[in-house]
Amino acid sequence: MAQIELKNVTKGFDDITALDNISLKIEQGEIFGIIGMSGAGKSTLVRCLNYLEKPTSGEVVIEGEQFSLLSERELRDRRKNIAMIFQHFNLLMQRTVLDNVAFPLLIQGVSKRDARKKAREYLKEVGLSEKEKSYPSKLSGGQKQRVAIARALASNPHILLCDEATSALDPQTTASILELLKDINTRYGITIVMITHQMEVIQKICDKVAIIEKGKLAEEGTVLDVFKAPKSAAGQRLILGDGLNEAKELKELPEESRLRVVFETNSTYEPVIANMILYLGEPVNILHANTRDVNGTAKGEMILGVSEKQKELIKQYLQERNLTVSEVSCDVDKTSE
Amino acid sequence: MWTKQVSDMIFQGVLETLYMTGLATLFGYVLGLPLGIVLAITDKNGICPNRFIYRVLDIIANILRSIPFLILLILLIPFTRLLVGQSYGSSATVVPLVVAATPFIARMIEGSIKEVDYGVIEAAKSMGASTYKIITKVLLVEARTSIAVGVTIAIGTILGYSAMAGTVGGGGLGDIAVRYGYYRYEEDIMMITVILLVVLVQIFQFVGMKFANKMNHK
Repeated sequence: MAQIELKNVTKGFDDITALDNISLKIEQGEIFGIIGMSGAGKSTLVRCLNYLEKPTSGEVVIEGEQFSLLSERELRDRRKNIAMIFQHFNLLMQRTVLDNVAFPLLIQGVSKRDARKKAREYLKEVGLSEKEKSYPSKLSGGQKQRVAIARALASNPHILLCDEATSALDPQTTASILELLKDINTRYGITIVMITHQMEVIQKICDKVAIIEKGKLAEEGTVLDVFKAPKSAAGQRLILGDGLNEAKELKELPEESRLRVVFETNSTYEPVIANMILYLGEPVNILHANTRDVNGTAKGEMILGVSEKQKELIKQYLQERNLTVSEVSCDVDKTSE
Repeated sequence: MWTKQVSDMIFQGVLETLYMTGLATLFGYVLGLPLGIVLAITDKNGICPNRFIYRVLDIIANILRSIPFLILLILLIPFTRLLVGQSYGSSATVVPLVVAATPFIARMIEGSIKEVDYGVIEAAKSMGASTYKIITKVLLVEARTSIAVGVTIAIGTILGYSAMAGTVGGGGLGDIAVRYGYYRYEEDIMMITVILLVVLVQIFQFVGMKFANKMNHK
């Protein structure tokens, strides 16, 4: 049984539908990414997981319990197992770092002494022991998020919800926070749900990804599958991103089709494109090329401009070499509107 | 004119003013603090919105705040007599002072609490904090600097009101200023009381702000 299950969750605010019939399953121990543009409804979605937002219809089932059947008191109790971190950290400004980490324990009625003792352990986990007496205003963004993570760990959660946890951080700090989250996931076996609009975040640490657009689930799958061949328009836009824009600028090339090729690590030894050109006796245009880190392995991607009549041949040639090839339209933006 | 009698009287006046201000501030907060909390949390963006309770308290606070203090002083005479046994003197003045200060304090508390970042409240909710815990461990703690600034403002205002009560025999420095300056044209004594009132407000303001800044970690 999945640890987290959403069944046909719909959430409306006044006259807008923030979430439209979303069903998802998240397994114990996974790092599950939920990506979408701002306003797609992902923040609402993550708040449905701890019932800070109650769905208008549909069911949220966490560890076998149907949240709609629980009382307020029971919900508060369950929330202790579902920690949450935020884009703007949301630390208590008037409490020291140590007391921030001890805070969830204090709320649970643990004595101040014991709470602080435990808080010290978690501060050590995130590498901020020497800051225990500081106030949050004296910390950098990355340090604040580390404190927030220590605070989240303090209540021994089974699930950690991250709401744009790295969006306010610079790339380097983002990387170190993601590393910490990955580490927490492996060491404590905590399921992590990552809400983000950054594809790099998903590629870096997530096992699975769900793409949300305009309140609907556009597509879902392992990060690798979605990366290799995004099916939905929203997925293509997110994955192709810059590459597509670069390819688009070369639009004046007449009658060309654009093929996206994804290289796995093992396929990079053979000079595939060069061999293909020799074999076909016809040049291709490389419109975009990039290497990305997907789940810790390097994946290359390339967008080729090829003539219409050679398209099928090239596709076949590349597919025979176990590369993922898909045709991309330069107009994905428009088709999805 | 500068006799021991006069200086004793002025000293007595200072003590009475401090007594009235202190007591009225204390009771004002005893009543105004919970009222302000209720106003803040029952408002539509509060942590437990309740239109009805908010409306009722909102209207009461507005009515009390729109009555000029001098009028309130006179209107409350029967009530004051009932509580204190007499309607003049510094103890009696505390009653209308508290009535005037409570809605004012409640509004300031409401404002201070509403300044607390919603994200922090949401974080506490996500940890499973109850409404009571959110009030005592998040709202009041995070808003404490703002509340302390409010106390400073409240003391200054109440001190001013207490001087106004002098016109109807309220005791304290205001009373002396009215009796000597207004009825007997002894302006030097009036000037001294005014200076003392200014000095008192300055001291409270200075100490209060120092204290507020010291506890702020934002």
